[in-house]
Amino acid sequence: MLRWLARRIIAAALVVFVVTSLVFVVTHIFTDPATVSLPLEATEEHRANRRAVLGLDRPLSVQYWDFVSGLVVGDLGESFWQSQPASKLVFERLPATLKLVGGAIAVTVLLAAPMGMLAAWWERRFADHAVLGFSMVSISAPPFWIGYLLIIVFAVQLGWVPTFGSSGFVSLILPSFAIGLASAGRLAQMTRRGIVEELRKPYAVTALSRGFSRSYTIVHHTFRNVASGFVTMTGWELTRMFTGYTVVIEVVFAWPGVGRLAIHAIENRDLILVQAAVVVLATLVVVTNLLVDIARRLIDPRVELA
Amino acid sequence: MTATENPVGPAPDTGTDAAATGESVTVMGDLRSHLLKSKAGIAGIIICFLFALVAIIGPWLPFIKDPAQQSLPDKLTPPVGWGGTWSHPLGTDQLGRDILARLIDGARISLLVSLVAVIIAAILGTALGLIAGYIGGKIDTLIISAADVQMAFPGVLAGLILVAAFGPSVWLVIIVIAISSWMVFTRVGRGLVFTLKTSLYVEASELAGASSRRIMWRHLLPNLVSSLITLSVLELAAAILSESAFAFLGFGVQPPRSSWGLMIQQGRNYITDGWWIVTFAGMAIAIVVLGVNLLSLWLQSFNDVAEREQIILERPGG
Repeated sequence: MLRWLARRIIAAALVVFVVTSLVFVVTHIFTDPATVSLPLEATEEHRANRRAVLGLDRPLSVQYWDFVSGLVVGDLGESFWQSQPASKLVFERLPATLKLVGGAIAVTVLLAAPMGMLAAWWERRFADHAVLGFSMVSISAPPFWIGYLLIIVFAVQLGWVPTFGSSGFVSLILPSFAIGLASAGRLAQMTRRGIVEELRKPYAVTALSRGFSRSYTIVHHTFRNVASGFVTMTGWELTRMFTGYTVVIEVVFAWPGVGRLAIHAIENRDLILVQAAVVVLATLVVVTNLLVDIARRLIDPRVELA
Repeated sequence: MTATENPVGPAPDTGTDAAATGESVTVMGDLRSHLLKSKAGIAGIIICFLFALVAIIGPWLPFIKDPAQQSLPDKLTPPVGWGGTWSHPLGTDQLGRDILARLIDGARISLLVSLVAVIIAAILGTALGLIAGYIGGKIDTLIISAADVQMAFPGVLAGLILVAAFGPSVWLVIIVIAISSWMVFTRVGRGLVFTLKTSLYVEASELAGASSRRIMWRHLLPNLVSSLITLSVLELAAAILSESAFAFLGFGVQPPRSSWGLMIQQGRNYITDGWWIVTFAGMAIAIVVLGVNLLSLWLQSFNDVAEREQIILERPGG
């Protein structure tokens, strides 16, 4: 286990290294933060000056070394839009993003597990078809549109929750649903399928024939065997959320997270800050994948992991 | 899925691995067994056909207004049924432009961008998959490592950094969607080639002295086509959603051109007195994606590769 863990951590670190290096290639070789920060009509002299100020006139190898050694100690450069360390700005916003993703994953799990079990319980009956319909619609609708529909209905028409911002628990509800519904749709189908398959296995047939009810067998026997897959899938949905539509949902709900910070940084031509946000989010994805693998191994030691 | 009518009846192959029995391992495979196959397929085909038709002949449709024509006295006219008239069936936006006309106009960009991106991803990804699977060795290691890194670096992040570096453009969105999708084709193509490689006809042509290129092009590729087309349709659904998200963030097409995502971005400030702008634009996206998803389910019922579907599920950054 320890050796496996060590190998897995080294592999994850390598991926982070490659990804951040690719980001550096885009931000320093294809273009550079000085050019991006200046308007298009700026003269070459202006650009040269700005490069000198930002230390971008040094050899690329030196800049790259600075970048990598900075990463190791958590220094992600200086944002020139805010004149503050980029890492400080990103880490200030990170808790909001984590809170949002936490809310979304809670919605996902709390909807998917019961829906999957209900669908399997009433296989090929109305509840099953209803869950299937929900899944199809939820994976087809754009999450940011779901966000606006929720705002129109629950905030504008009914006035139950605030339209946007992050004031307390209540404001977390709508964005969590906007992100979590699609994940719940995918996960519910996966759960249903796993349980239906398990119910046909001898141990489940035995339990049923001994007179245990279908619901008891599902909750106490088959769901446990689906749990490993459930955790893995939840983990995948988590990585999707960190980088996928969370950015968009933060914009929709004016949620003060890392994604919205990156969008504002783009609007203010602050390449260093965008780079910092992207590096942090990409690292989060890799770390999440690592944690999911570990969780999977702990739940089901039989799982063979490369 | 085993199509036993009795839900608790023992399946003949109990205890075997799903992949080994050729069953699918996914949400999609499961959805399929539920839907009455043909009905879903027909619905999917009709929706896709209608949207494609409208996108192509949109401007020549009768009774459709000019999507760019502003008329401030008519601004924020509600749709029919909410106090509007048939002159603007789906209402107007904040500048008095006809929503229906703009939806039809936006279909072009939204669908074209997604389609081009998926085609690029499919060609690039399949080529790399063929090479990795057939040549093997160090090239294989290199390509599959690149695919693994790509998995950890989802499209939205690539989009953020590229837009920050080069500014928004339609081509940029196409490239971002393509690079967040190629590895799906590579992994599936590679997996299929691994199994095909040992088949008799490939060995026979190797013995007959055929070049690697000829074997890949003439013998392996034709066997991948049906699986890859199915995969492309599934990727198209993801691509349309991505395109709409990028357009919504303002990364893609710029005004006065129009796309569905951009309509939602522009309509978002009017959700209190003009809810129909955001609602109908999003509905267009949702319906076309639903159509593509239904089509994809139906296609999958024809050829079904468990491994491929697993790969789709494991993609981050949907």
